[in-house]
Formats: sequence, structure tokens, C-alpha cells
Amino acid sequence: MIRAGAAALRAWSRGRGWAALSTEPPAPPAAPEPRKEEPPVLRSCRVPVLSPLSPVQAWVGSLRHPEDTLRGLADLHPDVFAVSPRLDILHTVATWQRNYKRISHARVRTRAEVRGGGRKPWRQKGSGRARHGSTRSPLWRGGGIAHGPRGPTSYFYMVPMRVRVLGLKVALSVKLMQDELHVVDSLEMPSSDPRYLLELARARRWGHSVLLVDTNEFPENISAAVEGLKSITLIPALGLNVHSLLKHQTLVLTLDAVAFLEQRLLWHDTRYSPLVPFSLPHRDAPGAA
Amino acid sequence: MAAMAALGRRLRELGRGVRGVQTPPRYEESSAEFGFVQRLLPPSRVPEPPPHPKYPTPSGWSPPAGPPPDLPYSVRRSRLHNLPVYEGQRQGRRLTELRRIHGDIWALERDLRAFLGSLGVPEVAAQVNEVTGTLRLRGHWGPQLRRWLLHRGF
Repeated sequence: MIRAGAAALRAWSRGRGWAALSTEPPAPPAAPEPRKEEPPVLRSCRVPVLSPLSPVQAWVGSLRHPEDTLRGLADLHPDVFAVSPRLDILHTVATWQRNYKRISHARVRTRAEVRGGGRKPWRQKGSGRARHGSTRSPLWRGGGIAHGPRGPTSYFYMVPMRVRVLGLKVALSVKLMQDELHVVDSLEMPSSDPRYLLELARARRWGHSVLLVDTNEFPENISAAVEGLKSITLIPALGLNVHSLLKHQTLVLTLDAVAFLEQRLLWHDTRYSPLVPFSLPHRDAPGAA
Repeated sequence: MAAMAALGRRLRELGRGVRGVQTPPRYEESSAEFGFVQRLLPPSRVPEPPPHPKYPTPSGWSPPAGPPPDLPYSVRRSRLHNLPVYEGQRQGRRLTELRRIHGDIWALERDLRAFLGSLGVPEVAAQVNEVTGTLRLRGHWGPQLRRWLLHRGF
């Protein structure tokens, strides 16, 4: 629409051009384009990922502030963090972990071990009572037990090493797929107050139990904070196991722990069978051995 | 008595002086010769196969041909870089197992059925295990399966 008022003509003479004559509202300035910055990849896989696989990613946060959760991305190896969810292997390894240490000390006395019962209680024939040879036979009150537990009994058995390794990989993959795995750059905390850690876990909705994993040394603040807490556990990466992963709802790994786990778990995919035990030194085995 | 003790003390010091103070022998730590130990330690990782002038090698092995094919499934090589085809028997039944399958196993099973049908098999008995990623065929089809997988590019 064209205006033809005095003010519009004055604007026209001042050199505002056709825009001064039109009645349409001035077009809003173009909204600035959102900056498409890719979040930085803070960690890439040291072991090469062969095609057609590609690494899975997780956000890297930190414990220094409850809202410091999106520092960057970490590449995780798909052969450790994206294996197929074999629940049967999780069951195998978890059951093995419970039972291989079990020694049952239940033991009862047999008729030979119960005190007494050497003499025939009454004569074989003529007394009118049932025939018996000993007062401690299993039929008698106070007698021995016929087929009772004869402990100590060991329930030790071993599951093959690669099955146990696959159990760890499946547990880590399941944690990642269920959004219960968080990666942190380090376990440094601003204070050693357990309440700070509980508040952080509550703010980030981590669940009712948290498992923190780091490599060898822990900062003082986190060790002091976790000491009194029952629902938050701190373990070294060497102590990671399927039972703890299933018991705790959330898993928090540091970048060092991720590198350590990838190196140790992926070695089993390309190793020889042990001609000599791996506890003896080898040329390129990971770890101290 | 005291004179005797003093004499004894002086004689002991003299003797010590004659023999000289026994210093421990000098030694030097060096790991320069540890290489001789390290070359005797056994390797723990399976090495990558070296490049050969011609494939298949005299033993019949071929590496995967080029990049992984663009199929909905993939069959990964074993630890020693072989195709995961295993023949066996259970109570007299001959079985061929194809392991380490990732992706769509049913597509692989359909392609296998087509391939074995082209070989002249009227009815292919196959068992697919999606959880473990394995496929079992009745009969010994090892060499044919391996040739077909190589042809596919795995």
C-alpha cells in the first residue's frame, strides 16, 4: 500500500525512497544463523576402528560443577561399547562371579560318626519290637544323617577368559545404550563434602547407585567424599566386573579409564592362545605381565 | 686388666688398618643387553599377514578383496584372519557353521539359499541364531561357502 501523506512525502524528499511510501511494516532484520559449531572430540580411539564399523560417541563432562556436562565428545570403540547385547553371557559371568568363590562348610555326622550306637539295642527275635542293629542309624532319633552335606564343598569352576571379557564388553555396551554410562575428564572435585557429590548425582539424575571408575590414583577430594557414602562406590579400572556393573545403576568413567579398558579388552580380540601363561612376560602383552 | 683391654683395642685397630677398609665392589646398572632377553619372549598378538605377490597363497588363503562390500550383513574374519566356516558332526549329522555374522542375518540366509539352490540343492536346511550371529547348514559345504564368501568380498 502506498501512503500519500505529508510525512511520507517529506521522507520521500529526504531520500528515503520507496520504503517511505509503503505502509507495510518494515521487514524484521534477518535472524542471525545459529553457529553450527561441532562439539570438540576430546578423545579418539587409539585402536583403529575398521570399516564398516564406526565409533560410538558419548558426552564428556566433569565433576567440578553440577552443570558441567557438555565439555565435548569422546569416541568409544564399537567393539567394546557397541557389541550385541548377549544377556546369556551376562548371566553366565554374573553367576560365575557369585559361585566360584563359594565354599560350603555344611557337614553333618553319619551313623559312623555319631557318638555311641555300637551295641545291638535288643535281641533280634522275641522282644516284640522292630529289629535294629544300632541306636544311631538314620531311622532313630538322634541318629546319623544318611545322605547329608559332607562339606567343605567347593563350587569352584572357571569360565573361559574370552567369555569373561565378552561379559565386560556386553555390560559396558548395555550401560551405554541405556544412557547409564557417563564419561568424565577426571574425578577432580571442588570439595570433599559427600553432600556435594550426592547433590551432583541428584541434579544430573544419575540414579540411586553410582560406580566411579578411574585408573590407578584418585584425587583426595573424591576419596574423602566417597568414604562415608554407601550408594556411591569408587573403584580402579582393574576392579571393573560384571556384578558391580549390574549392581550399580550408573557408571561414570574417566577418559583414562576408557583408554585403559579399550586397550585391555581389545587385546583379547587379536591375541594368540597362551602357550605359556600370560602371567609370564610376553613381548607385547598389555599390562604389567 | 684395663691395660690388657687397651692393648687389645690397639691391636684390633692395627689389624683393621693392615687389611684395609672393605668397600663394597663398584657396580653399574644397565639394561643395554635386555634386547637379548626380549627377543626370546613370545609374542602375544597375531600379526597382520604380510602382502603376497599372488593370491590365493600356496596354502589356499586369500585376504578380503578390497573394502568391505555394501551389503546389509557382514562376516568378520577369525582371529587368525580366516573365514569363519566350520564343519562338524553331531550324532552322524554333518553340519557346517558360519559364525561371526553381523547385521541382517536373514538377508544372508536368503542369499545362501539362493546360492545353494543354484548348486542344485533342492531343500536347504538352515538354522539361524540371531542372538549369537551364527548360521548352521545341514551337510558339509565348507569349500563352497568359503569360495562364495570370498566372491562376495568378505
